[in-house]
Amino acid sequence: MRTAVRPSRPRAFFASLRLSLLLFLADPQWVIPATIAPVIFGFAAFELYSGSGATLVLYAILGAGMMSMWGQTLYGAGWATSQDRELGTLEPTLSAPTSYLWVVFGRIVVNAVTGLVGGLVVFAVVSLAYPHPLPLQRPFEFLLLFAFVLVTLASVGLVLSAVYVYTRYAGFINNFGEFGFYIITGSMFPVVLLPFWTSPIALLLPPTWALDALRYASLPGYVGFRWGFVGDLVGAVATMLVYLTIAGSVYHRVETHVLTVGNLQEY
Amino acid sequence: MAVPAISVEQLTRVYSSRKGFLFNEVTRTEALRGVDLEVAPGELFGLLGPNGAGKTTLAKILSTLLLPTSGRAHVLGLDVVREANRIRPRIGLVLGGERGLYYRVSGRENLRYFADLYGIARSEREPRITEMLERVGLGDSGDRRVEEYSRGMKQKLHLARGLLHAPELLFLDEPTIGLDPKSARETRKFVRALLAEGVTIFLTTHYMFEAEELCQRIAVLSKGKIVATDTVPGLRRLVGGDRTFEIDGYGFEDSELARVRALPGVSRLVTEEFGPRLRITLRVQDPQLELDRVAQCLLGHPELEVRERRTALEDIYLDLVEEEPA
Repeated sequence: MRTAVRPSRPRAFFASLRLSLLLFLADPQWVIPATIAPVIFGFAAFELYSGSGATLVLYAILGAGMMSMWGQTLYGAGWATSQDRELGTLEPTLSAPTSYLWVVFGRIVVNAVTGLVGGLVVFAVVSLAYPHPLPLQRPFEFLLLFAFVLVTLASVGLVLSAVYVYTRYAGFINNFGEFGFYIITGSMFPVVLLPFWTSPIALLLPPTWALDALRYASLPGYVGFRWGFVGDLVGAVATMLVYLTIAGSVYHRVETHVLTVGNLQEY
Repeated sequence: MAVPAISVEQLTRVYSSRKGFLFNEVTRTEALRGVDLEVAPGELFGLLGPNGAGKTTLAKILSTLLLPTSGRAHVLGLDVVREANRIRPRIGLVLGGERGLYYRVSGRENLRYFADLYGIARSEREPRITEMLERVGLGDSGDRRVEEYSRGMKQKLHLARGLLHAPELLFLDEPTIGLDPKSARETRKFVRALLAEGVTIFLTTHYMFEAEELCQRIAVLSKGKIVATDTVPGLRRLVGGDRTFEIDGYGFEDSELARVRALPGVSRLVTEEFGPRLRITLRVQDPQLELDRVAQCLLGHPELEVRERRTALEDIYLDLVEEEPA
């Protein structure tokens, strides 16, 4: 019996998205990154900033939410590929007639969305615990930008995931990258408080710009980068496009490299 | 003339590995050293070889999972390096063992994922998955999580996945390794059915009886080189006959062994020690040569145990692999 076979990138993307979601929910550990960790981040932020005024509380919430989202995105980029190596599914997946880039992209999106849920949990927890209403300036824009930050995170995750296909030391890179990014992108502290030499690095990362735009949209009287909200958006889109272009070109080379080295089964 | 399903010319593959931190020491291992072979469409071709001979390396290059270092390989008339994306939808790969499956989801969900990666038409996807699960004998357990499967069931799921997109050429790497005899027999039956449907099969295995039972032609790979390719009768002729004599006894003299070796029709003589006992194995070409004539050369040994049997593929394999110089 002949079967009509027409590989397509969207099919691969949605197949990966669906499988990632099923695997995520099948592992009871999902409760920790998706709910428990954000609640802890939320309470920590609340305790630290509750006496400092509503704006600072909101600032802290955003940081905690970003940490949750970034952690999950990086997890999606790195651990999914490591898991494929560990399970021995990297070879059959790469032997399918679809670019692995789309498979990874699906996984990153699932993990980033779970991170988004985590970020919203943080927001909900602190909103309920804080006795005063939080001064969210433009709620609609806030939600849109929240999702946009997620896309910028995914673009960085996509580039990093190429490295994870290349090497089996994804866990090490994950752990190193997670905390470095919290600091560099301004999730934890405003970038302006960091040493001057970190600024160029921060500006190379799309989430830095997107996060600043998000703060402009949500915090009353926020003073971030001098180019303002629109400049932030332009910077975020531009850097994100650079990352997506890099991911597209790097992936083909990485796939060729792993087929040359022959280390797909190592983990 | 039909395009060969597989055509390989002077294929080599070298693995490089690095050791050390600051001063890397590069170790090069030649896994394949100039392999030539051709597989016809609709053929069941077997590849035999000891561990580390390069079987899996060759199967992975042909299934586009590894790039060769030099030489050429064509699968279904397409170049494995330059046209891998056109080869992939047309071939199936079944790697044996426990790994290679998403064990936290069901067998059906595993197949659904790969059906989507291969782009099987949505209208055909579910019927095809159900059909494959039933064909491999997982019809009742397709909705169970893979972590609940036995090894045999996992192997069946591997097979179902490899065949899901109805490939023209199937690579089977040790498909019955670790299976109980009943499951292994079912798998072999399944492989024969695929062959009857016109699927070309490239089988790598350690099991001689399996290769002998299934394969139309067999190549023996040793230390990265093909040392022989033929049908089983052809390989028998190559190693010197389809009859094998085994003589067990004690204290044979070199002169006695030389007399046996000089008998007309004896093409090969191998001795093996089992403690104090010695076994002489003879490969015999001449149909006139009788066991009695061999025993006459060893008259001083009344305790002789002498038997005749058909030369098995295992004998051929060992002859070929042991003859191959390092």
